[in-house]
Amino acid sequence: MPDSTFLDASELVLNMGPQHPSTHGVLRVILKLDGEKVIGTECVIGYLHRGVEKIAENRTYVQFAPYVDRMDYVAAVSNGLGYCLAVEKLLGVEAPPRAQVVRVILTELNRVASHLIWLGTHALDIGAITPLFYTMREREETLNIFEKYCGARLTNHAFRIGGLQYETYDGFEREVRACCDLLLPRIDEYEELLTGNRIWIGRLKNVGILNAEDCKAYGVTGPMLRAAGVKWDIRKAQPYSGYERYEFEIPTGVNGDTYDRYMVRMLEMRQSVRIIRQAVDGMPAGPIMGKVPKVIRPPVGEVYVSIEAPKGELGYYVVSDNSTQPYRVRVRPPSFVNLQSLDKMARGSLVADVVAIIGTIDIVLGEVDR
Amino acid sequence: MAEEQKPAAPKAPPTMATTPWEDELTEQLKRQFGDRISEFTIGLGQKFLVPSPEAVIPILEYLKLEADFDYLVDVTAVDYPKRAERFDLVYILYSFAGNERIRIKTRIAEGYKPATAVGVHLTANWLEREVFDMFGIEFAGHPDMRRILLPEDWEGYPLRKDRGILQMDDRWVKEHLGIESGQ
Amino acid sequence: MMRVLRTIFLFDLIEGLWVTFRYQRPKHIYTEQYPAQRPKVAERYRGAPRLNNNPETGETLCIACNLCALACPETLIVVGSERNEQTRRKELTTFTYDISRCMFCGLCEDACPVDALELTQDFEMAAYSREGAIWDRQMLEEGPRPTRYKF
Repeated sequence: MPDSTFLDASELVLNMGPQHPSTHGVLRVILKLDGEKVIGTECVIGYLHRGVEKIAENRTYVQFAPYVDRMDYVAAVSNGLGYCLAVEKLLGVEAPPRAQVVRVILTELNRVASHLIWLGTHALDIGAITPLFYTMREREETLNIFEKYCGARLTNHAFRIGGLQYETYDGFEREVRACCDLLLPRIDEYEELLTGNRIWIGRLKNVGILNAEDCKAYGVTGPMLRAAGVKWDIRKAQPYSGYERYEFEIPTGVNGDTYDRYMVRMLEMRQSVRIIRQAVDGMPAGPIMGKVPKVIRPPVGEVYVSIEAPKGELGYYVVSDNSTQPYRVRVRPPSFVNLQSLDKMARGSLVADVVAIIGTIDIVLGEVDR
Repeated sequence: MAEEQKPAAPKAPPTMATTPWEDELTEQLKRQFGDRISEFTIGLGQKFLVPSPEAVIPILEYLKLEADFDYLVDVTAVDYPKRAERFDLVYILYSFAGNERIRIKTRIAEGYKPATAVGVHLTANWLEREVFDMFGIEFAGHPDMRRILLPEDWEGYPLRKDRGILQMDDRWVKEHLGIESGQ
Repeated sequence: MMRVLRTIFLFDLIEGLWVTFRYQRPKHIYTEQYPAQRPKVAERYRGAPRLNNNPETGETLCIACNLCALACPETLIVVGSERNEQTRRKELTTFTYDISRCMFCGLCEDACPVDALELTQDFEMAAYSREGAIWDRQMLEEGPRPTRYKF
């Protein structure tokens, strides 16, 4: 038996560094490979850590709201909704019905926008470059609505504690309906490009399988959990902001592989359009801001509120000590918890599959690192 | 819903307006754990219980196996520097079958090493690493107790209240990045 | 049989390619030719700040109440004022706004009681130095001056 040399080493450590086009941000993944097969991964995160939770202890409740958008910067409206719901629960106020309906419309548009970015970048990682341009084009339509409503496209700061700041502009309902009418045929086009495509199926089927028990054990929520077959959505289980009034379905998958997650997210986009149509049709008149005092000083207490963000369960645990600044704000980020399951899913697959798996978890590093 | 304030000189610190929580689950927990759980309360419509620190992992196991609380939502901590038992370690659990959420809060002192929940829920791996990173609470038995968000050689634990936001450690940025301060 | 034919003749791939070929017509071009064509932004767009003046008298509308500085999460507004002994009111002397730290969240605009501070539709705020990003009262009152390019 000859002496083993470095050529016989069976384990190769490869660094998928923080600067990488497919890691959706600054994520470092250290891969241990045996040839092309992955035998272990390790994620190094924290490159985008900005200390949002520490900042929260030094700003007033109203001043902290813009910072919250910058965590999941792709779907900023959902972050704002979660934070406003948490502080409203501490104060004991509820937003008036018209504000709730407009919040639902904007949040669902936001969900569509977030899934469009997911689809574009995921397809780009796999190698299909065209869907990226088409999804960005559709996202422009939704971003135009956000811009006309609250003044900013990406980090919106759309909601205020107690309701809304701005009344809807003239033509809001018309444009939202036009956007919905535009989106559905375009989603059909994406499906035409991708769903039956043999390259797509070959790259995605049976890759990154995470079954239901593993999902629950790892605390994975959102489309990943639904693709594993668990029909659970916070909008149906513990509705907030008037979601119990709308009729929509929860799409689920069967295997929990990447292809199922793709199908679940495409169906979710369609269901979001359905919710938006119902909300716009039934928009009540009325005030847009609830009875909130000028200086927000909630009584001593703590609360945990979670919403169904496009990426999973986004939770806010706010502790107040009866001063104008929160004592502790803890954000439970869905991407952070979902990213833990990367190791389980990637073992045994090829390097190219790791790229597909990172794309399908749908992480946004701003939320992972806060 | 009033704050508990005495009219004479030293005011007691106001506490959250709560009501006691009693139902079948609390009966089971009382039978199983007796006086290791000191209170069961509902505040703002949300249920929480306060056990003693050693009882947390057995309670998590019991809740997972008997009461179907199979999803650990979050592990976090809150710092109250003026109290003797400085940290409030919070576990939030959810049950898919029963569609309800409960919180488990324990009070631990500085230097105490709580047992890790990784054996019960795999989610706790990174969540406990983050609690260690931000507060310095080490979890005994954790497979990989390292800093997760901050660099490995950072000094200090940011979310503790001893240091304000402007007094954060800038030795690391001076050494590695060559800039004056991270602010 | 049909399945075999579809597989051999790449039907599923051709369906995708047909979608792409449909978009080859020039009328489908979505690219905006910036800077020749400046994008139209919405009326409520939160862009560069501006201090408004009274259109008739030309005096500043700002009453130096300092509410915008208190509302700002980044505390980057500094309002300087002096008290006028005759009218017993505060008058604005200096007003400093730091664009480099601004988040464009709009809290200052919401806080102003007299609509003196307004976030305009200007988004071209580049400066050549860090100090150029700290705007003083004169720059704020002049308002945005976007460069027009001619090709």
